[in-house]
Parts: sequence; C-alpha cells; structure tokens
Amino acid sequence: MTLCLTAYNSLGTRIGLVIGGLGVFICPDMNFTSWKVLGVWLALPLAAWAANPALGGRWRLDPKRSTALDGWTAWDLVVGLEGSRVNLQHDMQWRATKVTMTNSVDTATPTMAKDFFRVEQRHMALYPVPGSMTPVRAEWLDGERTLRIEATVPVESSQHTTPMRIYQELRLIEGDQELQLIELHSTRGRPLVYRFTKIAEGK
Amino acid sequence: MHRFITVLLSIVLLPASLAAAGAVPGSAERAAWVMHFDGDWQVAKGLPEKILLVSLQGLANRTAPRLYVVHPKDFQWEITEPLFEFYQRKHHVTFTEIKTAEAALALFAKYAKGYVVWEPAVSASMNVAFTLAGLEDAVVITAAQIAQVEAHGLKKIDDLRGRYTGQTDAQIYRDAYTRYWSRCTHESIMLMGGHAGAVRMPAMADWGVRQKMFFHDLSANPIHPEEVALNKKLYSELVPLATVFGWHSYAKDTEEQQTTLLSSYGLRMEGLHNLPNLSFNCQFSFTPGFKFKNNHHVALDAKLTAEKKVYLSFVQSDSIGIGVWTKPGRGKLPFGWQVTMNWTKFSPAALEYFHESATKNDYFIGGLSGPGYMYPNHIPADKFELLMQDARKLMATLDEHVMEIMDNSAADGNVGNADLTKETVDRYYAAFPDVIGFINGYGPARTRDLRDTRAMISYDYYIDPRRPREEVAADLNELIAINSKRPYFLLVHVRESNDVNSLVEITRQLDGPVEIVPVDVFLKLAASNQTYTTRYQLPTDPKHFKGF
Repeated sequence: MTLCLTAYNSLGTRIGLVIGGLGVFICPDMNFTSWKVLGVWLALPLAAWAANPALGGRWRLDPKRSTALDGWTAWDLVVGLEGSRVNLQHDMQWRATKVTMTNSVDTATPTMAKDFFRVEQRHMALYPVPGSMTPVRAEWLDGERTLRIEATVPVESSQHTTPMRIYQELRLIEGDQELQLIELHSTRGRPLVYRFTKIAEGK
Repeated sequence: MHRFITVLLSIVLLPASLAAAGAVPGSAERAAWVMHFDGDWQVAKGLPEKILLVSLQGLANRTAPRLYVVHPKDFQWEITEPLFEFYQRKHHVTFTEIKTAEAALALFAKYAKGYVVWEPAVSASMNVAFTLAGLEDAVVITAAQIAQVEAHGLKKIDDLRGRYTGQTDAQIYRDAYTRYWSRCTHESIMLMGGHAGAVRMPAMADWGVRQKMFFHDLSANPIHPEEVALNKKLYSELVPLATVFGWHSYAKDTEEQQTTLLSSYGLRMEGLHNLPNLSFNCQFSFTPGFKFKNNHHVALDAKLTAEKKVYLSFVQSDSIGIGVWTKPGRGKLPFGWQVTMNWTKFSPAALEYFHESATKNDYFIGGLSGPGYMYPNHIPADKFELLMQDARKLMATLDEHVMEIMDNSAADGNVGNADLTKETVDRYYAAFPDVIGFINGYGPARTRDLRDTRAMISYDYYIDPRRPREEVAADLNELIAINSKRPYFLLVHVRESNDVNSLVEITRQLDGPVEIVPVDVFLKLAASNQTYTTRYQLPTDPKHFKGF
C-alpha cells in the first residue's frame, strides 16, 4: 500500500509525503484533504519516534514559581523515555513520608492505566478510586518540546464517583533546564501550573 | 472501682472545689499583678528568666489568683490581652504591673521554699526541675540565677547539674519516675514538649507546677521504643478519664502519634504547651447570673427542607483561643466555633469572654471528639460511654447541640485518612441521641451518615491560611462542579489563622446558587435530603500510621 499526503514546509513550499512500506517519499502534487485525513493516522506513530531526550531525567518542583501545593512538601518528577513510552515517576514527599507513583503513557497508542496517579491536594475531599482504570492518550507537540497527556480519571467525591478529564502539557523551557507542567481539569476554571528545575540524579 | 468513683466525683465536683479553694465572686474587688512578657523564648537568651517566672507564677497562684501574664500580640494564644481586660471589667480585678523578674521575686518569693537548678545543655532536666518545683514549692532556675534567687532568701532544694549528663531522655525520665511519680497527681500529667532545640516555650508550666504534675516530653514515636514504653507506663497509671496537658515534642513524634497513644488509654489532651495562665484562670468562676446561651438558629426538633442549591458552612476547630476569633471581620459570616469544653473546668472566664463577645453569626459547637481532644477510633470501648457522659454534661452547660469529631490517627498529608470506623460512628449515635448532628475531620474526610434526623458530615474542604485566596475559590468551585447533585452540602474547615474578611471575598467568587448557613442549619438541611454517600473508614483505606 502506498499513501500520499500534502503539507507545507516551513518555507511555504507545497510538498507531499508518500509512505510505502517502511519508505517515505515526497511527491509534489498531493491535495490538502489527503493530508488532513492521513495526518491523523500518521500523527501518533510519527510522534512516537520523536521523543525528546531533553525531557528525560529528574525534575524538581520549584514551589515559589508554582501553584500552591497542599499535602505535599516536595515533588520530583522523573521522566524516563523508552521508545514511544514515557514513564512519569512522581516522587512525592509529605514531611517524612515518601510516596512514589509512576504513570506510563504511550505516544504511539492510547492506553488504559490502572491507578493513574493524580497529584492530589490535601485540602479537597477528592480521592482516587483504588483499582480503577483510566484511559490515557499522549502525544508529542511543538517539535517534540511538549508532551501532551489527556486522561479521564475516576475520582471519589462526597456524592459519587465521577470522571475528571485531566489535560496536561509538559513543556520544555528554552535551555532545557526547566520544565513547566500545565494542568487543566474539566471541573476547574483555573489552571494548575507547576515549574520544575532539572537536577542531576541522586541529588 | 473505688479509685474510679473518686475520679468521677472529682470531675463532677471540680468546679465547685475550685470555687471553694479561691474562686472570686464577680462583684468582689481584688488585687492581682500582671507581667507583660516579650517574645524571646530562646534557650540562650530569654528562656531562663521565663522559666523562673512561670514556676513562680504556679506557686504564687496556688492559693489565690495573684499573677497573670500578658503575651505579645503575635503570641499563639492571642487572648491574653482581651482576657486581661475581661478580668478587670467583669471580675473587678485591679492589676498592678510588675516590670522585672526581680520585682516579681520581691513580691512572690515568699510562696516558694527554695529553688531547683536545671541544666540547659540537658533539655529534659527542665521538665524534671518543673516536676520537682511542684512537689517542693521551688522556682526553676539556671546556675546563672542562683545568686539572684538566694538574695530573696531562697535555698537550694536540688541541683540537677551533672546528674543526667550523657543520659538519654528515657533514662532521665525513668529516674524522675522513680524519684517523684508516686508523689505527683495522677489525675493529670504535663506533656511539656512543643518547641524543642534553641527555642522552647513552656508557658503552661505554671499550671503543672500548681497542680503538682509530672512533667515529661516522652515520645510516642515507635522509633523511640524506650520512651514509648515509659510513656505507656505513665498513661496506664493515671486515674481513669485523666487529662494530658501540654503538647507533643516537635522534635520527637507527631501530634497524631501522641494523641493516638493517649486516646488508647481513654485519656484526653488539653494543649498547647504554651497555653498560659491556667493557674490564674482556674480560680475564677463564671460571673453571677451568667449562663451560656448559644446563638441557635434552629430548634433541636425542627425539620428543614433543603432546596436545590449548594449549602456551605464554615467551622473553626483549633480552639477558639487561637487565631480567627481576634482577626478582622468576625461576624460577617456564619461561623461555627469548636469550644474547648474542658475550659469550663479550668478556664471558665475565657469561655465567658468568648460567649460575651460572640456576634449573632458565631455559633459554638462541642468537641473535640469528646470532653477534650482524643481520637475515638482508639478509645477503649469500656471508657467511651464514661467520657461521653462527661461530654454531654459539658455540652449541656455550654448550650451546644453539635458534636465535632476528629481522628487523625491514620492521617498524614495526602497519605492516610481521617475517617471513623462504623463501630465508632455507632457509638456516637448511641451516646448523643439529642444532638442536631455530628461533623468530622480536620482536613477533609469521607465519613458520612444519616440516622433518624441526625446527619454526620465530614469536611469537604480545609482552608489553609497560606493558600492563595484565588486558589481557594477555584478549589471550592471545583468541588461544586464535581458534586453536581443539588443540594450539595459543602462543609469547610477554617484553619486557625485565617481571617474572615478574606473568606467573605472567597464566597463572592463561588459558582452557582450558594447559600452560606450556620452549621446547625446546615446539619438540619443535610438531614432532609441525603445526596451524599454513607461511608465509614474501610479496612482497605490507606493508613499511614498503623499504631503501636
């Protein structure tokens, strides 16, 4: 099977891609509709191959530049890259108590995650539902400088268990030594913004 | 059994006995003295003089209320100044100011028989010295103060320097136990912990000295097994329903660990370690004719019907002597205040002051968990009813219709929970048939129930004073969005040092039809339409601290 699509490169030149088997070719006269249809099909696998190594490593929360975080006094985000998989390990601390939880997302395919970790705020009576499954999608954006994650997480409230859509973007800041996590909730009118600084492992 | 009956009688008769020992009629004019403390509690600077003075205060106030201390406005207990004014106005006390320790000694050294020397390099020696001070009528000093107190005719009773050098706290307190415990009161004990290290704040020591308590700061942290063992021994040898005054050591264990431990012996906590002037306060009864009259908004047997809206209620439970009460804006919103009910026994004037200065929006509720601070999941079954009998009496005296419960034994930030087992909930429903309802938690919790007309609702939100107000509004709006059924009952705990003005601003940013109601109305409405789940602590719920 051979597929063709059309797009514009950064100089505005109309180009096309032909993907046949494992090969990728450019053909000059593909129409725009073809691009749109096939772009969706292609986006995930293309993104999957494009993990940005700069995102990997240990990132430490800078509380002064972040939304107030209650119930946790420290937060390290350890990003591991394995092909299309991105492992987001949350090393959380409350006084002497340490908790580590890892969310694994796949930029190649949507997944179902058991006990997807949501950074809770101690002051709110919203609780994770043990053993629950969370549909998760992940995608590289902005030239692989942003990792977008969408998850629909079940939460227990005082009235019921209900889904909360969580939209996250992990954005590498210029210089690759800082990371910004922006999180939106389907239930919240105000974004949560966390700023991290890269640190050497073991620190 | 005989011992137990004696204790019960002593609890019931305590206010009367206090009155007989030196209660001051509201109309009688009398003289007393006042000192204004600064905020320097550093071991290397201001602490030794304050220790001398609070031990002297405990002795001077043994037989009559003679010495009162006013603390700076930024002291944790902000009521010392308003209460000072209250004593003058309502009890006709004429205070003469004492400006120096020297002047205090000149006036009150006659109430001491001598001095005991503690060693700042051995921190536990301070508590041993306080114990000895109560038993032997001594002031507590460091070596540098010997000449000063001897100039006032005081003789050495004991010198702890060198005795405990190199020993662990467990060893030191074991020695103190052997020497002094049998002579100390067994109706209470002084957990003189709190601040540790370069700053210590034993402002409650006057009370322990006056009452001849055993002072210690033994750990309830399982990583200190020797201290825990001795702590257990002491708690087990207190009389039933005894009180642990003071607070846990910030350097050794947690509030949750210590409160869990003492609750497991059916004891109650009255803090903090820096609560001042109890040796003075305990000697005043309520003014003649005074009767607690709460600002009830709904009758006990009333039936209300909730509309399809959000009902929000604010409660503060960090003891009304701390924080919000003296902050700007009180009275602008309906507010529930958890009263430290035991103050009826040893600080009645403070309770009268709060009731006198209450606005129509201030509503008092009972707690915390019973006649004092305790964790009910750990109260032995055979002591629960006896404790709650006491709580019912205190609530009746204070005209309170709502009981607040808190059990943080399994809590730890986002890890753990603050919930009640079904067995505990059953006990409360059985013990308090005549309340409007119950509230639970400190931080958020998820114990909820409705039986007959009595709802039990946990906090859905906790307002940290440091959290930006726009985030608080966003949090509350998120809870309102997620709890989409109407009515939604949103119970909010307000941490001690918030101010009401900022809460008014938050309520203006809330989404949807929201009504702020007093907590008695809130519970009545919650009883009319159970849109919340019934839930108790589950065995599978996370428990950070698994007990001893």
